[in-house]
Amino acid sequence: MPRPDRKTITFSIDGREVEAPEGTMLVDAAKLGDVEIPVFCYEPKLGAPVGACRMCLVEIEGIPKLQAGCATPVKDGMVVHTQTDKVRAAQNSVVEFLLVNHPLDCPVCDKGGECPLQDITFGWGRGRSRVVEPKRHFEKPLALSPLIAIDRERCILCYRCVRFSQEVSEDYQLVLQERGSESFVATFDGHPYVAPFSGNIIELCPVGALTSQPYRFRARPWDIEQSGSVCNLCPGQCNVSYTVRDDRVLRVLARDHHEVDDGWLCDRGRFAYQAMHVDERITAPMVRDGGVLREVTWERALEEAAKALGRAKGAVGAIAGGSTTNEEGFLLQRLVRETLGSPHVDSRASGALPIGLHAALSAPATQATVPDVEFAHAVLVLDTELVDDMPILDLRVRKGVRRNRVKLAVATSRPSSLDANAKAVARFAPGAGEAFVAALEAAIAGSPIGELAAAAGAEEDAVTAVADLLREAGEDVVIVWGERLTHGPRAVQAAQALLKVSSRLNPNPHPGAGLLEVPAGANARGLREVGVLPGIGPGLTEAAPGLDTPGIAAAAANGELPALYFLHTDPLRDLPDRATWQRALDRASTVIAHGAFLTEGLREFATVVFPTEAPAAKEGTLTHTDGRLQRMRQAIGHPGDSRSEWQVLAELSKRLGDDLQLFTAPMVYAQVVDSVPFYAGISLDDIGGVGVRWPAREAASAWPAGESAPVGLEAPAAAASPNGKLRVGTFRSVWAAPEVEASPALKFLAPKQRAELAPSDAARLGIGHGEHVLVGGVPAVAHLRTGTPEGTVFLEEGIEAAPAAAITDPLAEVTKA
Amino acid sequence: MSTPHLLFKDIDEPGLDTLDVYVKRGGYDNLKKALTMPPEAVVEELKASGIRGRGGAGFQMGTKLSFLPKGTMDKYVVCNADESEPGTFKDRELMQKIPHLLIEGILIAGYAAQATKSFIFIRGEYDQQASILEAAVAEAKAAGYIGENILGSGHSQDMWVHRGAGAYICGEETGLLDSLEGRRGNPRLKPPFPANQGLYQGPTLINNVETLSTAPLIIGMGGAEYAKLGAENSTGTKLVSVSGNVKNPGNFEIELGMKSRDIIEGLAGGVPDGRQVKFWFPGGSSSPVLLPEDLDLTYDFDTMAKAGSMLGSGAIIVVDDSNKVVDVALKLAKFYKHESCGKCSPCREGTNWTVKMLQRIDAGVATPMDLDILASVQDQIMGNCLCVLGDAMAMPLSSMVKKFREEFEEHIELARARNPYGDEDAGQAEPPIEIAAA
Amino acid sequence: MADETKVIEQERALAGEIIAAPEQPVPIEQSIAAFKDEPPRYADGSRVPGWDDAADLTKDPATIPDPATTPVPDELRAEIEDLMTRYPDPKSASIPALAAAQRLHGWCSPEAITQVACVMRLTPGYLIAVASFYDMLDTKPVGRCRVYVCTNISCSLNGADELLDAVKGELREGDDIHARGFECLGACDIAPMASVDGVYVGPIALDEVPTLVEQIRKGEDPLPEKQLIKRRSVDPEANA
Ligand SMILES: Cc1cc2nc3c(=O)[nH]c(=O)nc-3n(C[C@H](O)[C@H](O)[C@H](O)COP(=O)(O)O)c2cc1C
Ligand code: SF4
Ligand code: FES
Repeated sequence: MPRPDRKTITFSIDGREVEAPEGTMLVDAAKLGDVEIPVFCYEPKLGAPVGACRMCLVEIEGIPKLQAGCATPVKDGMVVHTQTDKVRAAQNSVVEFLLVNHPLDCPVCDKGGECPLQDITFGWGRGRSRVVEPKRHFEKPLALSPLIAIDRERCILCYRCVRFSQEVSEDYQLVLQERGSESFVATFDGHPYVAPFSGNIIELCPVGALTSQPYRFRARPWDIEQSGSVCNLCPGQCNVSYTVRDDRVLRVLARDHHEVDDGWLCDRGRFAYQAMHVDERITAPMVRDGGVLREVTWERALEEAAKALGRAKGAVGAIAGGSTTNEEGFLLQRLVRETLGSPHVDSRASGALPIGLHAALSAPATQATVPDVEFAHAVLVLDTELVDDMPILDLRVRKGVRRNRVKLAVATSRPSSLDANAKAVARFAPGAGEAFVAALEAAIAGSPIGELAAAAGAEEDAVTAVADLLREAGEDVVIVWGERLTHGPRAVQAAQALLKVSSRLNPNPHPGAGLLEVPAGANARGLREVGVLPGIGPGLTEAAPGLDTPGIAAAAANGELPALYFLHTDPLRDLPDRATWQRALDRASTVIAHGAFLTEGLREFATVVFPTEAPAAKEGTLTHTDGRLQRMRQAIGHPGDSRSEWQVLAELSKRLGDDLQLFTAPMVYAQVVDSVPFYAGISLDDIGGVGVRWPAREAASAWPAGESAPVGLEAPAAAASPNGKLRVGTFRSVWAAPEVEASPALKFLAPKQRAELAPSDAARLGIGHGEHVLVGGVPAVAHLRTGTPEGTVFLEEGIEAAPAAAITDPLAEVTKA
Repeated sequence: MSTPHLLFKDIDEPGLDTLDVYVKRGGYDNLKKALTMPPEAVVEELKASGIRGRGGAGFQMGTKLSFLPKGTMDKYVVCNADESEPGTFKDRELMQKIPHLLIEGILIAGYAAQATKSFIFIRGEYDQQASILEAAVAEAKAAGYIGENILGSGHSQDMWVHRGAGAYICGEETGLLDSLEGRRGNPRLKPPFPANQGLYQGPTLINNVETLSTAPLIIGMGGAEYAKLGAENSTGTKLVSVSGNVKNPGNFEIELGMKSRDIIEGLAGGVPDGRQVKFWFPGGSSSPVLLPEDLDLTYDFDTMAKAGSMLGSGAIIVVDDSNKVVDVALKLAKFYKHESCGKCSPCREGTNWTVKMLQRIDAGVATPMDLDILASVQDQIMGNCLCVLGDAMAMPLSSMVKKFREEFEEHIELARARNPYGDEDAGQAEPPIEIAAA
Repeated sequence: MADETKVIEQERALAGEIIAAPEQPVPIEQSIAAFKDEPPRYADGSRVPGWDDAADLTKDPATIPDPATTPVPDELRAEIEDLMTRYPDPKSASIPALAAAQRLHGWCSPEAITQVACVMRLTPGYLIAVASFYDMLDTKPVGRCRVYVCTNISCSLNGADELLDAVKGELREGDDIHARGFECLGACDIAPMASVDGVYVGPIALDEVPTLVEQIRKGEDPLPEKQLIKRRSVDPEANA
């Protein structure tokens, strides 16, 4: 539903006239007049107020009983008092009641010093206790999960944590049990509370009842500093605040940005900070010497790298991973293109697109923003599992459906965690996204779709249902699409089909509707815009044609590219077609990689390794998928004498004869802005703490024209027909990441390979839940899952021990191991 | 003096719980009559009767009905058959003996509200009554009184009996709605009131069993005629449940405005021989207690309110002079502590703390000063909670402390004399504890 | 266990004493004994089960059970599915569904809750939150036959606490009976009373308790002549 218009009204609070938007809850409106009304249970992010704690009682003229300020919308002319005896007495009472059973163990409580209960007791309490009855004492702390500890005697039953679980993340695992004063926060039958967003409850708890296991007793508020930055682990790019003590990150908190993350973090973003300080982390450059990687001086590593690259001039392939900053990506393509004279740079896994299509897919006019997802008439989630690919957006979609009755359609291969929230759901065969989108386009146009749906391996009725929902919902339709739709050899056709659907649903581009891509990498959009694509230079300009990622792999495997450069990616772990990459790495004489951990490809094949800076040590910009430029700010120093990666890239250029005259990170940014016309005029100060959406600025007119002529769709490639084998689909879980494996607290979440099967297929193959199987030779544990389309098996990507990328055939046999 | 009997007329007639017998004595005629009137006229008729809700709050039924917005959205009628206010057992007898009267009332209210779905939320403990109701609803469905296009009127209404599972708070109308939606029975914030946003967010009329059962009779005799019965502002007849220390406990249909003494000493036979009335709850355990000298007050909404108490659900509990006030107070407090849903802090912690204090008083580890804290805690609860369950303990308890302060003090002194070492365990049902105060 | 029996015995003895000689001052612990045992949500006295429980970190998180791996008895599934059709929002069926599962399993065991969760497509957490809120849904194993003795005001003014003690005292090891005090059951006119699996009986005299318990044990109709359902109105003008 479109955003509501609010008019401004005037009300009086404690004798002051205050203006506020109509309908604002009193506690928020009061702040506009510098009046603070204390609250515990109120947290607008959690949905409608519950009015449970009664801390916020105020007097409103004309109403005999005190009213909950958190649940009373202001009206014009309202006269409110927060300082009368009656209100004070109520506030004193509520504080007293909340302390009846609270242990007041502040000296040994993690929350001490940053505790709302302490603050409110000081500010609004009586300062004297009349309770002589013994308090209840219980064992503590207890584990609620490996990440969260619970001290139940401290809990004031404010409902925040359970509301988060029930109404925000909707995992509904954390609940209140029993009744009245016996109520307590718990899970079902002692199961741990493990869910992608569980850590948010720690921040929500207004007392020390829920604490972070990894942070517990690590610091006091006066020992620490907070330092704002942006998380670069996924395309969500949530705004974070690092808690730093003695140059180490001890905690990550949300830095509430309504238009990016809505104030939440996923557990990967919240807890993976541990990986910044583990011993396994690479902190010094390494060079392969006598077959083994050894730590060496910066001088030696840079010299070796420069020499090797120099030898391979004109035949270097470079790939940037998703966490690369705009500055780094920009310097990489300069190094490879300009200094080394090789056009082979890419930042996508496969499926090169021409400039026109890139331009059309991200055109400012049809660019939907994150908040649009919350207020659209309808949202289509296409070929992406948000909770894995961009977790924070999953919460936003749920919020839109729950609060604003956004109509949701889901079209994916694998059953989605959003299915239950959707009004229409369609499944298509893995890899048949193009055919599905073509079928959807036909259905929206009202043409027959039988053949297309069959080619997509989708049910005709399901496609029609999705089409009808989108067509009839209203004018604001947002398509949230996964980049994987445009991977593979028929990327161009898939992109064209998508654009056609988009123009049918949004014939008159307008704000609030359009396309929102879920990229495969955290800064994928930025990397494209600064020119890390084959044949496309900074600012989406024409560049000399080069090989794309699969092309680089093939050429290197044939011995045509002697030098490979990997910036923040390990091809064996992150890219498809493992066999080709193994050959490529084997044949290349030079493999230079920037990495944080010695993952397989680096361990076995890299000749020079440069350490990747810890995210908290990084300085640079990222471009969010909706076009928002954001800044990563340095919160901790570099360990030892290690250097920034932009410095490494600039230094290599210099040693190879191109002195780029770069001395600080802002200087690199200045070069980026100079080369990318649509970033023109955006200074680092403009970006500041909340970022700038460039598509909303004037310079956006410099964005190249997209491919706009109506395209005729050709017959799409049909999904492979199973013939007794099963179609193989893959997905990458939010937990399949090296930083998860490296963080002691998160390690337990690192996925093991499992084969998701439809119960009917499993029965036919005589495979039971939990049995060991081989899927096309890859070992996995069978996982029966209702809703998995018959004839399909799903494997997880990014698992080093059992790499799904080893399977290149679209079909595989599943056998008992 | 004979009282007109509307609800209880020939209540023990054999087979009255079946459709056959009910229809033979004219049952569902009033529904037929209502269906020939425009819905607004039915509302007007109910308004004219002046009938106030029989569930506890005493809000005028017709007025509540008129609050429901017009329009085509899904609307609901919910019958509150949770009847768990201690001392109340009138709805039970109605549902068990004449279930079709309630069903007819729900249909009339549903027609007036233009609601298409209705639920009877009956407390789970009333297993036999629920089964009787379920059978009656099935009969009425089969006979076309419930369902599509009822009796050719164009009005369609569905009805289900929904059994609760044991929680006093589900009698509170919004707690009931949450429970009916399949959740913990936590009361909701008001506004919005159920009439605007109730069950599944739709406009919802919630009325007590007795209120709804009276609706057909009002349609039958006409609102104005009904309003002639009873007292000013308390029209009609009312079922009262009398229990406690009386010789003849049970439900009686009275005309509102009758003298309280005539109910307690006349109909219910008074307290056992040789004892005196010590105090009485005029409207369930949530009503502030009245004293023997209040027995001459007339039994109607306004008089009870003026006396500082309330008519509530019409449940009179009589306590005679063989009982200690502290015992009753503790029993009462424990009930509300047990039934507090736990959502809001004053009620959750206030009831809990009150029980602990009363236990100390009873165990002889208190001083008269603790009575002041006890009274002040009741004041802190009153008016500060999310719903009125907290007040429902605080009001009667506060009235007991006020009216029997001397007995409380005496109790403390005697208990202290018997427990000189302040062994708090003596009165504690809570975990073993160290003594904090003595 | 032995301790508990002793306490009950002691309390019974004391209760008897109180009735026999009300005017005698009694030791303080004893005057309280009558209140000590109720409302007895938990047999173990005071601590709420769960407060001291940590999560078992070897378990998986409790998400919505997958039908592929959660067997549900056909009859239970059919009953729950039928219940779900009655309401505009199928979640409304959760309480009746839990009651149905309790009838089948004897209590709302983790297994019972998992089955309901599977059919209703809810998390078991949702259902345990609901089940533990309501007095009639048992989240700990108890005897199958449920005997609720009302111990609220009107009944206690008529000897309910003694009745509860007497009923409990009559129970033997191995009885599949769960006797507990209960809040007002809405039958103050037959105080003191009890509900035997939903059948209300009263007023119950203490000397009828052995017969009553024996009938319950054997599954016979409890005190047929004292059943509320057969009681006529006491309103003198009700049946003119
Ligand atoms: C704690 C509490 C318990 C209540 N219990 C009941 C009840 O058991 N039955 C009932 O009809 N109303 C009960 N009520 C009153 C209802 O909230 C509501 O006012 C009533 O159902 C409206 O119906 P009426 O207008 O016909 O009385 C209770 C209210 C409160 C605050
Ligand atoms: S654990 Fe914390 S957040 Fe949860 S209810 Fe208790 S006080 Fe509130
Ligand atoms: S903040 Fe308003 S009731 Fe809790």
